[in-house]
Amino acid sequence: MTQAVSLSAPTSAPTGDTGLTWRLAWRNLWRNPRRTWLTAGGIAFASLLVTLSMSLQQGSYDAMVSSATGFYLGQAQINHNLYEDEGKLEQTVAPAGELRRSLEQISGLHVAPRVQVYALASVGQRSFGAAVVGVDFEAEQKLVSFFDRVTQGRLPVEDNEVLIGEALSRNLGAQLGDELVLLGTGKEGGIGALALTIAGLYASGRPELDRSLVFTQLASVQNGFGLGDEVHALVLGFDDIDKLAPNLERLSRGLPDNAELRTWQQLLPEVVQSIELDRISAVLFYGSILILVTFSVVNTFIMIIFERTREFGMLLALGTRPAIIMRQVQAEALMMWLVGTAIGLLLSNLLVGWAAVQGIPLGMMEEMAEQYYMPSRLYPAISLYAMSLAPLVLLFGTQLAAFFVTLRVRRLKPVEALRAE
Amino acid sequence: MTDPVVVCRGVSRTYQQESVPVHALSQVDFTVYPGEFVSLSGPSGSGKSTLLNIVGGLDRPDEGSVSVDGVDLGELSESKLAELRLHKLGFVFQAYNLIPVLSALENVEFIMQLQGVSPVERAERATAVLDRLGLADMLHRRPGELSGGQQQRVAVARAIVSEPVLLLADEPSANLDSSTTKDLLELLKQLNEEGMTIVTATHDTMVMSYALRQVHLRDGQIEHDDQVQSA
Repeated sequence: MTQAVSLSAPTSAPTGDTGLTWRLAWRNLWRNPRRTWLTAGGIAFASLLVTLSMSLQQGSYDAMVSSATGFYLGQAQINHNLYEDEGKLEQTVAPAGELRRSLEQISGLHVAPRVQVYALASVGQRSFGAAVVGVDFEAEQKLVSFFDRVTQGRLPVEDNEVLIGEALSRNLGAQLGDELVLLGTGKEGGIGALALTIAGLYASGRPELDRSLVFTQLASVQNGFGLGDEVHALVLGFDDIDKLAPNLERLSRGLPDNAELRTWQQLLPEVVQSIELDRISAVLFYGSILILVTFSVVNTFIMIIFERTREFGMLLALGTRPAIIMRQVQAEALMMWLVGTAIGLLLSNLLVGWAAVQGIPLGMMEEMAEQYYMPSRLYPAISLYAMSLAPLVLLFGTQLAAFFVTLRVRRLKPVEALRAE
Repeated sequence: MTDPVVVCRGVSRTYQQESVPVHALSQVDFTVYPGEFVSLSGPSGSGKSTLLNIVGGLDRPDEGSVSVDGVDLGELSESKLAELRLHKLGFVFQAYNLIPVLSALENVEFIMQLQGVSPVERAERATAVLDRLGLADMLHRRPGELSGGQQQRVAVARAIVSEPVLLLADEPSANLDSSTTKDLLELLKQLNEEGMTIVTATHDTMVMSYALRQVHLRDGQIEHDDQVQSA
């Protein structure tokens, strides 16, 4: 008498012991070593290329931002909220002294006040227009590299000393020790005038700056042009630029109503745009590489499935559920990924580590790099993000590839599969 | 009388071969009792492999009913059918069908892993059964390092290690020479004498000669079904 009963035997799900599954997966990989090496090599190459490129890319961005902010602008500035658009003399931030002292309470933050007025610069009979910048040289040197570029003489120490560009010096026919007369309009509309001694010359590498910017003590400009305790900019910078973002709220706290904090992203929108543009084209490049490699994995697993149809038929005939066979193939895909990623990351770390120490000389591109605030050597940035993105995408890609290919196993009929050649 | 292990009633199976229907089995009644050693023989296309596949739950009949160990296979889903194959049936295939990257021991263990047997127990049982089949020295050899006869013995070990209610063998001697075939058949005979129920589809007269019941098929029907005196 037949009976339609449920089977009393345990289910066919394997126990928690998966040692045999992994052993089998590993050995299956080496059934066709050439194919495995080719596929794992593709994964390794993609991991290497993407992680190395991302590290160099991030390194170049960091260098670009560091050079751009560290040259003259600083990581952030506090200005009058109309100063950026209008640049008027009276658009100042005050009381500057108190604000500066308050900001300097923040650990790791350097603050450099600046005022800037326009004046006619004269030496003897020669005159040229100039922007006169009053600065605290000591504070500036902690923030920006601009003042490292003194080519003759020294930075001003006394209130009546001035630093001018080599180009302006040539234009004026001036030498160290000459008197430079600055004549402009003070804040209240009166005449602003300073007579200063040229203490040093600089060459910034930017002729337009060397022709027009002259630097003297902050107090001299404030007094000479009727600015009192007012500044046009409080230039800010942390020892580590990464500290800027978490401190933005604190930096903005307690600012006068007419003042605003602008970060380097707002000060240098062209740098942000150029980074974004580069990032987008890089994403397309990385995406193409990763998709190509994923397709090679798909191809490999299609071959594996066809080659082992008979074996899968046998397993199905013995009572193995398709899901277990699929899981077995997924384990093989994971092993393949592990081999490829391990090789790729090893090579990538070696190369990135070497480049992080030595730097990659830009050679012929140095001049172009300078325009983009880049240094002459490129140092990659080692980050978990750069090291993990490609491997994780490839992990997802290989697992997805294996999954879609092994869906065929669900449709296999044991009898037909056992007849496969 | 004990309950039968296999009961087929009015089993028919028709295949479509290039849109032409081929009647592999027509209204076949077939019963196997515990402890029998049955050979299914007949010319190519007679339906012996189809009957073996249907009894083994690898194929389903178009008509009729099949029960194995009291379970109506027609009532089972594909996954329940797979469970039945895993826990109640043992299969020996013509081409051994061992997993080439696993050793003899691991091939036998593999099926028990699927059954949820603990690693220690499955190692003990697999070693014991391979030892019994004369493969104690070959435990760690892979199929490629074994002769055809040794591979087939590993396949038998895999099939019997879980003590199935029924051992199904499809042309088990097809790839073996006569001496190895004889060894295999002696092994099957011994298993049968210990109570294992065996059904084998074969062309080989030597295999038939070891069976205690010879079922001959022709054109999808049982032509004759003879009990043979034990030698």
